[in-house]
Amino acid sequence: MATDRKRVAGPESSVAPLVEYPIDHQPWTPFTEKRHDSHRQPEDLRPIYLKTGLISEANGSAYIELEKTKLTCGVYGPRPVKRAGQGFSDRGTLNCEIKFATFSCVKRRGTMRDAQEKELSQILSQGLTPAVRLELFPKSNVDIYITVLESDGWGSCIAAAFTVASVALAHAGIEMLDLVAGCSASYIPTSIPSTSSSTTSEAPSEGATGSITPQIFMDADLEEEKFQQGSIVLAYMPSLNQTTHVLQSGKAEGAIISQSVEHCVEACNKIFAVMNHALLESIDQKTV
Amino acid sequence: MTSVANAVVPGQRLGHVQEYSAGPGTYSHQDFLYASVVGIKKIIEAQGELPTLTVQRENSQSAMPEIDAIVTCKVVRVNPRFAAVNIMVVGETPCKDDFQGIIRVQDVRATEKDKVKIYNSFRPGDIVRAQVISLGDARSYYLSTASNELGVIFGTSVAGGSLVPISWQEMQCTKTKAIELRKCAKPM
Amino acid sequence: MATPAFSFTPSTFQKLHPAEFFRRFTTEGVRPDGRLLDAFRPTTVHHGVISTANGSAMVRIGGTTVVCGVKAEVAEPKLDAPDQGYLVPNVELSPMCSSKFRPGPPSEQAQAVSEAINRVLKESKVLDLKDLCIEEGKAVWVLYVDAVCVAYDGNIFDAALAAIMAALKNVRIRKPTYQEGTIKVSGGSTATDENSFRLNLARAPLSATFAIFDTTLTILADPNVTEETISDGQISITLDETGLLCGVTKIGAASCSQSVMKDCVQSAKKRTLQLRGIMNQQ
Repeated sequence: MATDRKRVAGPESSVAPLVEYPIDHQPWTPFTEKRHDSHRQPEDLRPIYLKTGLISEANGSAYIELEKTKLTCGVYGPRPVKRAGQGFSDRGTLNCEIKFATFSCVKRRGTMRDAQEKELSQILSQGLTPAVRLELFPKSNVDIYITVLESDGWGSCIAAAFTVASVALAHAGIEMLDLVAGCSASYIPTSIPSTSSSTTSEAPSEGATGSITPQIFMDADLEEEKFQQGSIVLAYMPSLNQTTHVLQSGKAEGAIISQSVEHCVEACNKIFAVMNHALLESIDQKTV
Repeated sequence: MTSVANAVVPGQRLGHVQEYSAGPGTYSHQDFLYASVVGIKKIIEAQGELPTLTVQRENSQSAMPEIDAIVTCKVVRVNPRFAAVNIMVVGETPCKDDFQGIIRVQDVRATEKDKVKIYNSFRPGDIVRAQVISLGDARSYYLSTASNELGVIFGTSVAGGSLVPISWQEMQCTKTKAIELRKCAKPM
Repeated sequence: MATPAFSFTPSTFQKLHPAEFFRRFTTEGVRPDGRLLDAFRPTTVHHGVISTANGSAMVRIGGTTVVCGVKAEVAEPKLDAPDQGYLVPNVELSPMCSSKFRPGPPSEQAQAVSEAINRVLKESKVLDLKDLCIEEGKAVWVLYVDAVCVAYDGNIFDAALAAIMAALKNVRIRKPTYQEGTIKVSGGSTATDENSFRLNLARAPLSATFAIFDTTLTILADPNVTEETISDGQISITLDETGLLCGVTKIGAASCSQSVMKDCVQSAKKRTLQLRGIMNQQ
């Protein structure tokens, strides 16, 4: 960081100030209220705003907003492979890169691409590649760039990245087998574990949650994720009824996982309707 | 609009393989035909055959060279074996990013191939119309100008004037009237 | 120039001979996108678009979109300036916004724009850095002002500067307390004038950019990306709210006569006034 000579330099190190909550401050907990956003039921998604064609220079682009979560995506290609040393290939390649804006999270993020962003980029290309007809563009490259402007919930951010990227691909006129919709769910225990009676914003300790069957919260936001004992992100092709990527972390019983996959598939079909609408809207604007 | 009613998105099921055959913008998977691009569904009836289902793209994919396509390119480098070019336009669609191509010495013209000299056919900066003959190697597409209507269409002379074709292998500078050698394209 | 024997579609012609294509428009007094030579593109400003930032704004000038977020952090002050904070502006031109940019470290253009904006903010003393002092010699605020270009269609300087100024205006920082080496701010309830402060901006510089074409002596206001690439040079004029000059930057080898310069300053005055109006609407 300190040796980054290509940016306007700040101090060598800086930290976020400590936040002190007043005594009467009561943060949201899953034990007192159903959801962080009281208008939502556990199975409800946040309303999705999806629009295509914001980046005029890109072949295809899209913007997605799930309340506070905001992502933009630009697709370039098929274009010639720029990297040397890549042999002849009769299939195209899909290259995906996601970048969090420095101001997108509660804590300021670094300007360089970090390991987490690299991992996420990998996940996204793995989840999107099965949907793209790469055999139709030999020795070319399709580049997908995603910028997270604001993130409210880690899982929902990855899910939104799948959705926005596949809409941008379709907008770029790239031949695909199907769209890919992404959806996330968190497993959150909803009753206070007997050992702890605190109402602080700290998540309940590991051991205490073991015996409680958690509730599945669809499309959890950041406050809700603080209480999760596990989560799942599903990338799914709604028309072909096929899953392209599953990212499960944390612990949960098999029954909960299969139930959450079912919920996610159901939600993906709802998201698909929004994607469908956004893409057809771009036709409308042209023909009218 | 009536056309919007036929608008489809990738993955949308369009019909059964026994009723239609798959055209551009569609693919078949198991027993069904699906759309692979965003666009308007069209059915082309054919005599004695299955009607073809196609999806006409709304947002055309950025242009890519294909075998047999006529491309317009700019010469960037020449050496005795080939002329390296940037492919700028495929058919009538400009590429957003230029693709690389080469015109090898044996692909410059159809006859007397062994007498061809690249330096007497192309110079850097010339705009050339050529045909894609193969996907080439990892980097470049292989192009050919071995046809009357293929070759240099615009050029700038040593003196800086523009060149006008006077025969199929000579061009004249509009400023100095000097003659320079090129493999010209026959104006259409 | 073009031989009539070959016929092209307009888009092909534009690709092969961009300068000639463009000249045919400008000699008629219009541009390929339908604007007059001195017209700026429609501009919109939105404040407070990012809730994770202390201040934020989004500016769109035609096809160019810039989102700017300000993050406040705490750092030790410099030894030679124990009571001054830091203002760190950076412009990010990601590969997402245009195919001109590649992944990796900032391009030269990004560095140039960041540096130019840093200079404008510093030289015209937009913010008194002493306002950012928490405890002299111990702790000061660092304002990381990051402008991310979401869509690039030319004239990044105007868009980035406007976004940065709008975001700075939008900044709210919780009032800090200094106790034995740690800085604490109150959390919880929404920010009010009681528990937070805003920045006291002494001047509000905004800019207007023009592209210069040497051969035809044309001056174009607010160039888009194609106009930028074929122009011979660009001139950016930065003015504050009273119409005083804050900076003039000219890049490229184009010559620029005194009268042209005067015209540009006049046009910039009108433009920055209009832009200021748009920014103050909300």
